[in-house]
Amino acid sequence: MVKQTAYNYDLIVIGSGAGGSVAASIAAKNGKRVAVIEAGMFGGESPNWGDVPIKALLHATQLYDEAKHGTRFGIRSAMLSYNYPSLINWKDLAIKRTGAGDNRKYYEQQGIDTFHGTAHFLSPNEISINRRHLSAKHFLIATGSHVVAPDIIGLESVKYLTPRSVHSLMRPPKKLLIIGGGTTGVELAQLMAIYGTKVYLVEIAARILPQEDEEVGVLMERILKERKGVTTLTQTRVISVVKDGVAKRVTFNRGDIEKSILVDEILVATGRRPMVDIGLENASVAYTAQGIDVNEYLQTSARHIFAAGDVLGHSSHTHTALTESRVAAHNILRKEKIKPNYSGTPRLTFTYPGIASVGLSEDDAMKRDLAINKAMAPLNMIARSNTSDFRDGFCKIITDKKGVILGATVVAPHAAEIIHELALAVRHGMTASELATTPHAFLSWSEVVRIAAAKLA
Amino acid sequence: MSDALIDIIKREGRRPSERFERSKLHASVYAACLSVQAPQGEAQRLADMICDIVAAWCATKPEVTSADLRRMAARHLEAFQPEAAYLYKHHKLVL
Repeated sequence: MVKQTAYNYDLIVIGSGAGGSVAASIAAKNGKRVAVIEAGMFGGESPNWGDVPIKALLHATQLYDEAKHGTRFGIRSAMLSYNYPSLINWKDLAIKRTGAGDNRKYYEQQGIDTFHGTAHFLSPNEISINRRHLSAKHFLIATGSHVVAPDIIGLESVKYLTPRSVHSLMRPPKKLLIIGGGTTGVELAQLMAIYGTKVYLVEIAARILPQEDEEVGVLMERILKERKGVTTLTQTRVISVVKDGVAKRVTFNRGDIEKSILVDEILVATGRRPMVDIGLENASVAYTAQGIDVNEYLQTSARHIFAAGDVLGHSSHTHTALTESRVAAHNILRKEKIKPNYSGTPRLTFTYPGIASVGLSEDDAMKRDLAINKAMAPLNMIARSNTSDFRDGFCKIITDKKGVILGATVVAPHAAEIIHELALAVRHGMTASELATTPHAFLSWSEVVRIAAAKLA
Repeated sequence: MSDALIDIIKREGRRPSERFERSKLHASVYAACLSVQAPQGEAQRLADMICDIVAAWCATKPEVTSADLRRMAARHLEAFQPEAAYLYKHHKLVL
């Protein structure tokens, strides 16, 4: 056992992603001895494989796609094309510009010691990293999560893509089957379809984006089909995968009928599981396969060990992980503990049109048996829809019987920006009437929020 | 796997590092299965399988504790021989 006075560090952060990096920086700025352990690339998922690269590619491909369909605006686009290696270079530049992508120096410049390897707890105050033992007074576990491949016969024997590895392809595949119709699957379906890939999107639930309200899934399925040629197979279970020459034959069951298709690549974008295999039992940290158990202050069952981010198993958003990292740092450094406030946290899907939601969905309200009012305003009611020639989308607001906004969903261009006034409303208990009477600029997409709120005022 | 260094923490707090010995793990799992009257052939098969699983897991870790090995072995043994897994996990081998 390590003596209390002989700790190597005041804080060891396991994981250099969003859940760990902020806490490490705050602690270092407060004069603490801090070490960050990273098993993969420094910076974690978000800048290296997640948000930043995907959104950079989505931005570029969306520009290309809009220009391709710009004839109606008088834009000549017959000779328009894209250069895939250049797109990847752009993606790499976006990663590099974050300063955190695979950049160990980012932490070392802040006086934080860095170690590259897999951490494993040996005892409550000691970890092993590359056979070197480090001790600390406090720990923050921010190991994130990883994609879990579904149990499909033959899947392990064929090389399948993940959201992480899809960007290392030399060229877009001609035919791609995506297993998983959630946020990541739908984003990648749209991206690959813009490249010119024929995409099959398989989802076991009754609709794609099952965590959103029904209207969202129905609308996106139609948009993906009509505009991108994506074939969506809902209520479908993939049964087996086998190699068929250079291609892959996928057999699936839909409505009790078995069919098979030939594709070039398979992309698994199903659920994620927290990375908890780090010897937590040796540190007496309670956990399940769904994540580490923490109290309201993000403390684990070992009071000197905290956890933040995807490893908690309840959210996979970078902004949530950043918030939790700040809270964990505060609770490690100060006696008065604070709780993370998740109210008003937006959930985003970066498709075109974008999808953003906050608070309760209609499904959530029904499950809780809440008495609600709801109103929906289609995008084609606002002037911006006319000048941009884009009509597919809506704003949906849910309130309680007193008019207090409980949740909202926006499907529109720039939904990720529009949602923030609704996030503010949810967090501060504003009413639909207050929102409706607040001026919204003419020709802004946000006018759709005012119209939806006015229906409930 | 035979090259992996395993840090064994004794209950008294002494920590000599030992090289992983598959035969030791195999013998203990085999004994656990025999303790619950499993046939010798099945005990052998289960011990082989558990050792393969634990070895594959250990290959991802430069260092683990003896408690980790025991937990991993017991977890996978439980799917096939729950009683043996219980005895193994709680050090209650009766031959």
